[in-house]
Amino acid sequence: MTAALRLQGVSKSFGGLKVIDDVGFEVPVGSRTALIGPNGAGKSTVFNLVSGVYPIDAGRIEVLGQDITHHSITDRVRLGIARSFQNIRLMPHLSTLENVMLGEHHRSHALQWVSGAKATARAREALEAAGLGTYPGQVVADLPYGIQKRIEVVRALMAQPRVLLLDEPAAGLNEVETAELRRLLEQVSATGITLVVVEHDMPFVRELCNHVVVLNFGRKIFEGTPEAVHRDPAVLEAYLGTPGETGPGEGGSA
Amino acid sequence: MSGYLSGLIALLAINVIVAYSVFVPAAAGLLNLGAAGFVLVGAYTAGGLTALLEWPLPVAVACGALMAGAVAFAIAFPILRTRGIYMVLATFAFAEVVAGVLLNIPALGGAAGLTVMDYAGLPVVLPTAAAVVIFVAWLMRTRFGLSVRALHDDESVAHLFGVNLRMTQVAALTIGGAIGGLGGAMLVHQFNFIDVQGTGVLFSIYVLLYVLMGGTQTVWGPLVGAIFFTLVPEGLRRLSETSPSLAFLEEGRYMVFGVAVVLLMMWRPQGLVTRTMLERLFHRVPVAPATTETRP
Amino acid sequence: MELLQQIVNGLMLGGILAFVAVAFTLTIGMLNFLNFTIPALFMVAGMVTWALSSAGPHFGGFGWHWVPAALAGIAAAVLASLLIERVTYRYMKARFGDATEHALPLVSSLGFLIVFEHLAMTLWGADPQRFELPFENTSIEFAGLLFGVPHLIALALAIVLVMLLNALLTRTQLGRALRAIAENPNAATLMGIEVQRIVPVVFVITGALSAFAGILYAASYGTVTPFMGDAIATDAIAGMVLGGLGNIWGAIAGGLLVGLVKVLAISTFGAEIEKIPVWGLLLLILIVRPSGLFGASKIGKGKF
Repeated sequence: MTAALRLQGVSKSFGGLKVIDDVGFEVPVGSRTALIGPNGAGKSTVFNLVSGVYPIDAGRIEVLGQDITHHSITDRVRLGIARSFQNIRLMPHLSTLENVMLGEHHRSHALQWVSGAKATARAREALEAAGLGTYPGQVVADLPYGIQKRIEVVRALMAQPRVLLLDEPAAGLNEVETAELRRLLEQVSATGITLVVVEHDMPFVRELCNHVVVLNFGRKIFEGTPEAVHRDPAVLEAYLGTPGETGPGEGGSA
Repeated sequence: MSGYLSGLIALLAINVIVAYSVFVPAAAGLLNLGAAGFVLVGAYTAGGLTALLEWPLPVAVACGALMAGAVAFAIAFPILRTRGIYMVLATFAFAEVVAGVLLNIPALGGAAGLTVMDYAGLPVVLPTAAAVVIFVAWLMRTRFGLSVRALHDDESVAHLFGVNLRMTQVAALTIGGAIGGLGGAMLVHQFNFIDVQGTGVLFSIYVLLYVLMGGTQTVWGPLVGAIFFTLVPEGLRRLSETSPSLAFLEEGRYMVFGVAVVLLMMWRPQGLVTRTMLERLFHRVPVAPATTETRP
Repeated sequence: MELLQQIVNGLMLGGILAFVAVAFTLTIGMLNFLNFTIPALFMVAGMVTWALSSAGPHFGGFGWHWVPAALAGIAAAVLASLLIERVTYRYMKARFGDATEHALPLVSSLGFLIVFEHLAMTLWGADPQRFELPFENTSIEFAGLLFGVPHLIALALAIVLVMLLNALLTRTQLGRALRAIAENPNAATLMGIEVQRIVPVVFVITGALSAFAGILYAASYGTVTPFMGDAIATDAIAGMVLGGLGNIWGAIAGGLLVGLVKVLAISTFGAEIEKIPVWGLLLLILIVRPSGLFGASKIGKGKF
C-alpha cells in the first residue's frame, strides 16, 4: 500500500544553515500522523517543502505514489495537498465564506460567480460541520483568534484534499475549542483523508493521532506509535536534555 | 437641467470611470501612479479616429479602450517584474513615456493638443460610467475578483490555493488600462479637447489619491472618492462666490482635498468605505466579541 | 561651439536637478520613503524668497534684501519638512510600526504636495512671477562659453554639500546612527539610538537641499510659480533612479545626466522629444537593472 506522503533523504538549507537534514518518513494512507519536536526542529519547514513553497536541496517527496519533488505549487494543489498555517493566514479583508471558498478555488474557473447557490451551500455546510455556522458574512479580521484558526482548517478542507497538513491547529485554543477541533478532525479522518498534524499539545496528539514522527534539529529521531514515543530515549533527550521520567510535555506546549 | 449641472455630472462620470481604472489594479495590490498614461492613449486613439478619420463615435471609443488595454497588456509583464517602490516609479515612467510619444505625433496636434468635433454629452457619458461601475462590481464578485482580493491580502497563500499570481495581475492591469482608455475616450469627446500637459503627473496623482481616499477594499470606494473629489471642490467654489470674504476658498478648494488625504492616511488609511463598514451597515451582523487578539 | 554651450547648459540644469535628486535618494535610502513633498519644499523656498524680496501687493511683499529673503525661504522649507516628518513619517511609525512597510507615507506626502501647491496658489495666485536677483543675468565667459553664475554656484554647492553629506554619514556618530536606522530601525532603537531625535535630521537635510535648489532655480531662470517643483521633481526622480536608489553620488551623476540629455534633446530635436529618451531609459532601467547605472546603496531595506 502506497504511503499518503513519503519523504526520502530530504535536505534543505537556508543560507549556510542546514534546516532539514536527510529526513525520511512515511505517512500511512488514512492515518492521523503527528509531526512533533522541540521548537526550531524544522516541522513547519517540512510543510513548506511538501506544499512547494520552497524547493528541496536533496531527496524525494512522494504523495500517493507520485513523485512531486519538482512539481509546481499549483500541481501539488491539484494533486490533493492542502494546509493550514502556524500563524493564521486567512485573507483579513475577505469574509468567512470567501476565505473558505478560496479552498476550492483551484477547481473553479475565472468568471464563475463566487456567491453562486451551490458553492455557497457547500461552504456553509462545511462551516456548520465545524461548528462555525454563525459567521459566514463577517470579515475575518474582526473575528476572535480561536474562530479564525478553525476557519483556516475549514478552508483547507474545502480543497477536498487527500493529504491535509495542519500546522499547530490547536495553538491558542481553549479546552472547549480544542475538543471541537479534535472531533472535527476525527470526522475528517473518517472520510479517508490523511492528516498530518504539527503540534505541541501532547494530550491532543495522544487522543487524535495513531502515528508519530519526531524531528530534532532538522533530523528525524523517531517514527512510530504514540505509546512508544514516550519511552524512546532519543526523544526524551531531545526534549529534556537528559533521560527522565516525563517526556514531551504532559500538560501542554513544550 | 442646466448646462452647468450637466457639465458637472459629466465630469463626475468621467472621474468615476478613471477611478475604476486605478481601482482594479489597486485591488490586486498594484499602485498605479501613471493613470494619465492609459487615459491619454484612449483619448488620443478615439479622438484621432473621430477627428482625423471621421469614424463613428461608438467605434472610436471602443478602439480607444481596446488600444489602452492592449498597451496595458504589453507593459504589464515588464512592469510586474518590478516590486514596491520600483513598480510605482515604473508606472510613473510609463505615463511619461506615453506623454513623450504622443507629443511627437504632429498629426495628433503635438504640444498644442488635439481638438475633436464629435461631442459626447451626458446621455453618452453617464450610462458609460454606470456600465463601468456595474461591470467592475460584477467582476469583483466572480472567482477572478476573489483571486484579485486574495492576491492583495496574501500572495503566497493565494498561490497555495490555486491563484495564478502572474496572470491575475496582468489581467488586473489590462482591464484597468482598458477602462482608463474608455475614460480618456469619453474625456476627449466631452471637452472636445485633449492635451498632454493637462493630463499629466498631477492628474495621475489626483486619481490615485481619490481612489485611495474612497477605499480599495470594496467596489464602492472609488465611486465615493470620485464623488468627493469632483463635488467638494466645486461646492467650495460655489460657496466662495456667495461672499467676498470667502473668496479664498476658490483658490484653496483643492487644499481641502489634500488635507483630507493627509488626515485620512493618519486616521483611516483603509479609506472611507471599508468591508467591515459595509457588512455592518447592510447585514447588521452581530460583531463577535474579540476575546483574544485579532489581526490588524 | 553651439554644442559645447548646450552641454554646459545641460550640466547647469543638471546641477540643480542633482540637488533635488540627492534629496529624493537620501530619503529613500535612509527611510524607504519616496517623498513627494520635495517638489513642494522646492517651491516653498523659491516662492517665499520671491514673495519677501519683492515689494508688492501680494502676501508677504515686504521688499526685503534677497539674503534674508532666501534665508526665510530655506527656513520655511525646513519647517515644512519637519511638519511632514511629524505627521507623515513619525505618526505612521508610531501607529503602524515600521512606516517603511506601507505606501502610506508616500500617499500622505502626495496629499501634502497638493496642500502646499494650492496654499501657494491661494496666497500668490497661479501666474508665474518674475524673480529679480542682482546676479541673475551675470554670466562668466570662459573659452568662448557662457556659464551662468547661479548655475555654477548650484553645481559647486551640490558637490560641496554631497561631500559634506558623505563625510557626515561615514565619519560622524550621527552618520553612523543614521545608517543604523536605515539598516534596521528596531535594532537601532535596541542599540540605544534615539530614532525619534535623529530621523528629523534627514528631513532637515531634505528640506535644506530642496530649498537651495528652489532658490537657485528661481535665480537661474527668473520665474516662480506654485507648480515649479513638479517638472523638476519629475526629472530629479529620473536622475535618482539612474544613479541608483539611495546612492548619493549616483544621484548627482544621474541629475547631471538627465539635465544633459534634456537640454541636448531639446536643442537637437525640439522640445517635444525629450521625454522619450529620459523616461524610456528609465523604464528600461527599472525593469532590467533597478539598482541603477551605478548600483543602489546597500543601506536601507530596499523593499517598499
